[in-house]
Amino acid sequence: MLNDLIRAIDYSDLAEIALVLFCVAFGLMCYATIRLTSRAANRFASIPLHDTPQDPRDDE
Amino acid sequence: MASLTNESLTRTTSTRTPASDATTSVDQYSYDDSIVRSFLTATVLWGLVAMLVGLTVAVLLVLPKVFEPLGWMSQLLSFGRLRPLHTNAAIFAFGGNGIFAAVYYSTQRLCKARMWSDKLSWLHFWGWQGIIASAAITLPLGITQSKEYAELEWPIDIAIAIVWLGFFGGNFLMTLIHRRERHLYVALWFYIATIVTVAVLHVFNNLVVPIGLGKSYPIYAGVQDAFMQWWYGHNAVAFFLTTPFLGLMYYFLPKAAERPVFSYKLSIIHFWSLVFIYIWAGPHHLHYSALPEWACSLGMLFSLMLWMPSWGGMINGLLTLRGAWHKVSSDPVLKFFVVGITFYGMATFEGPMLSIKSINGLSHYTDWTIAHVHSGALGWNGMMIFGMTYWLLPRLYQTPLWSKKMAEWHLWIATIGILLYIVPIYVAGLTQGLMWRAMDESGRLTYPEFIEAVQASIPLWWTRILGGGLYFSGIVMLVVNHVMTWASRPIAYEVPVYSARRLAPLPSTVTELDTPEPATVLAKAPVLNFAKRLDVFSQMTWHRRWERLPLRFTVLVVIAVVAASLFEIIPTFLIRSNIPTIASVKPYTPLELAGRDIYVSEGCYNCHSQMIRPFVAETKRYGEYSKPGEFIYDRPFQWGSRRIGPDLAREGGKQSSLWHWLHFVNPQQVVTGSVMPSYHHLLETSLDFKKITDRVHAAHLLGAPYDRELTEAPEMAQKQAEEIAAQIVSQGGPMMRTIDNGESLKTMHSQAIALIAYLQRIGTDIFKPADAVPNAPAIVSPSGLTASSTAKLDKEAANAQ
Repeated sequence: MLNDLIRAIDYSDLAEIALVLFCVAFGLMCYATIRLTSRAANRFASIPLHDTPQDPRDDE
Repeated sequence: MASLTNESLTRTTSTRTPASDATTSVDQYSYDDSIVRSFLTATVLWGLVAMLVGLTVAVLLVLPKVFEPLGWMSQLLSFGRLRPLHTNAAIFAFGGNGIFAAVYYSTQRLCKARMWSDKLSWLHFWGWQGIIASAAITLPLGITQSKEYAELEWPIDIAIAIVWLGFFGGNFLMTLIHRRERHLYVALWFYIATIVTVAVLHVFNNLVVPIGLGKSYPIYAGVQDAFMQWWYGHNAVAFFLTTPFLGLMYYFLPKAAERPVFSYKLSIIHFWSLVFIYIWAGPHHLHYSALPEWACSLGMLFSLMLWMPSWGGMINGLLTLRGAWHKVSSDPVLKFFVVGITFYGMATFEGPMLSIKSINGLSHYTDWTIAHVHSGALGWNGMMIFGMTYWLLPRLYQTPLWSKKMAEWHLWIATIGILLYIVPIYVAGLTQGLMWRAMDESGRLTYPEFIEAVQASIPLWWTRILGGGLYFSGIVMLVVNHVMTWASRPIAYEVPVYSARRLAPLPSTVTELDTPEPATVLAKAPVLNFAKRLDVFSQMTWHRRWERLPLRFTVLVVIAVVAASLFEIIPTFLIRSNIPTIASVKPYTPLELAGRDIYVSEGCYNCHSQMIRPFVAETKRYGEYSKPGEFIYDRPFQWGSRRIGPDLAREGGKQSSLWHWLHFVNPQQVVTGSVMPSYHHLLETSLDFKKITDRVHAAHLLGAPYDRELTEAPEMAQKQAEEIAAQIVSQGGPMMRTIDNGESLKTMHSQAIALIAYLQRIGTDIFKPADAVPNAPAIVSPSGLTASSTAKLDKEAANAQ
């Protein structure tokens, strides 16, 4: 019976499900990135330029 | 900032304060640059070795007999054995050590913390060099799993897992946990993705049943094995040759240009897009093979989607130099980075293009793929490592670079070398693809002899040697510059000691993290509480805080990677029960099993595929196209990825056994113009019949329905060997052969007989009567397609041509 069930599944649907999942995750990630303030983005981007911590370090 | 002249002294002055007073106390710390110096030196030296071996295999293609004067040593230096050594050395020795140098230098500075454990750093360094040395010994000896970029046998695989995850990963993660910079810079995200994904790929692609220290069989067979291999193989490119190098780019490019990355937001999108998309793309390596159609389409779609993030990353890198192009004109480091990033753009444009089925139909198995990977490896990986090395040398050795002019020469020679390498190989690839499929108006192959395409490629392979030689000479310049800069180092290195307070501990739960909640502009608005909560959620501060938690961040990456993998892997494995067994396909006989292991050991898969695609030209040239049910006893699968020689999927019965015997003695004797080396050592080495029993038991354990073979394998093998030897003798071949020490070896006792037994079996079962199993299902095509579906597939393949 299990064998019949496995045979009956149309695995091609997985491609569509995967695409939807990806779109949701990608959209959420893009939204999160857009909401990052310019001030925070600039501060994060400058981290490699200094070998010592730049205060304040908890700045968003 | 204080300064010390002795590193051990620095370590004693570094203190770790208790967590309780973490917010108030100040730490002193220094960075461990000695480990970076070691990894950088290893990078340069292994780079020299990798390119030298690459140059050697390129020469072997045009001069296959060049090592014959070396006698017995020539068998260790055949193309089939050296090519995996070249790829492993280039990827894991040159690329790997380069990655580690970048990670150890940048992580400490991005975290504002010394590596968590110096001991683990050094265990990692020596462990990795030991693994590389093991590869350099075992691969020429023919000890291989025959999976591309995963050739190393199981004891070395275990060592890789321990060194990678235990020493490197553990030390890296603990350094992140003990960092003094709150935000994890995006380069660290790329490193995290690299560490966890490579570990997952490595473990699951190397699950095997060992039968000895140097031999094992994968738990997967045929289609599943091919799928797992290219899930690994493609993502090894993604997470070993791309993500860590992007981390390198996002750290060292801003450092060298002395300006922040163009768009930090774009770098975040770049990261998550790659993590989400790359893992799905592997099946594009198996277009038109026996892999299910839906998996190939999914792989192609996600490969095409990779265009976006890859080019986003390239543009982000190049635009980081906005307003600093005047520096590029005078700084060889930035020039290396510009060339490297440009090649990244080229290679990541070409990769998705090659995943398009109709283009892949032309390019696959040809030199086009070789040109593509060398454009990426030499152009992107090589140039980024060179740029980083020239930037690091004066800083690590605390003395000016010995010769800036030589670095400039290196840049131009390497760039010209890459172009001289890839352009003729692109031409060779196109030539091969077009000649293989060319048909005249009567529907016959225009170039029916495979050797015609080989001969057309030889002048182009010679030009490739020139390009490779130039690239190699550039690395020689780097070695000279490295050594001379090192020679002018100070007597004792100055080790800066920094002071900084530790970070206040973060709350341990999400609830605490979100307290206090960020203010909402809707606080006093007449709206539902749900709207207020949605507004707070949409500010995404929760996401920002997650980014600060290395463990949680790592888990997120693992989920993204594993979820994507499972979507492809689970159905592929369930299909195992869906692939109708072809009743006439039987397990290999004991002698054929031994012969197959010789085929694997000699690295025949490096030149010969065993996968006939459903193209008219291929079926005309090789015979009936390959079906998934034909490979159920193939551990490991031997589909290959390149055709320097013809496909062997229907080799069984095509030639006489004597033809194969003579072919091993001197390939040019039976195929004029062949570039295959002599395998006469197989004729002069005796086969250990007793050891065949272990192989049979391992195959049986993995599902091969053996019976009498379990107890009588040596006797059965001897009997079959006698029959094949008798055929050879009756066809005019020798009864025995005198070997180097003056002794004689009977034909039937030689390893060549086992290999001939295997070759004569390949692809023949499908034409045998299905007498063993009643009501046997008809032969099926990929995914269990019906006859009408198969016809449709044929039509599609014909259209692709």
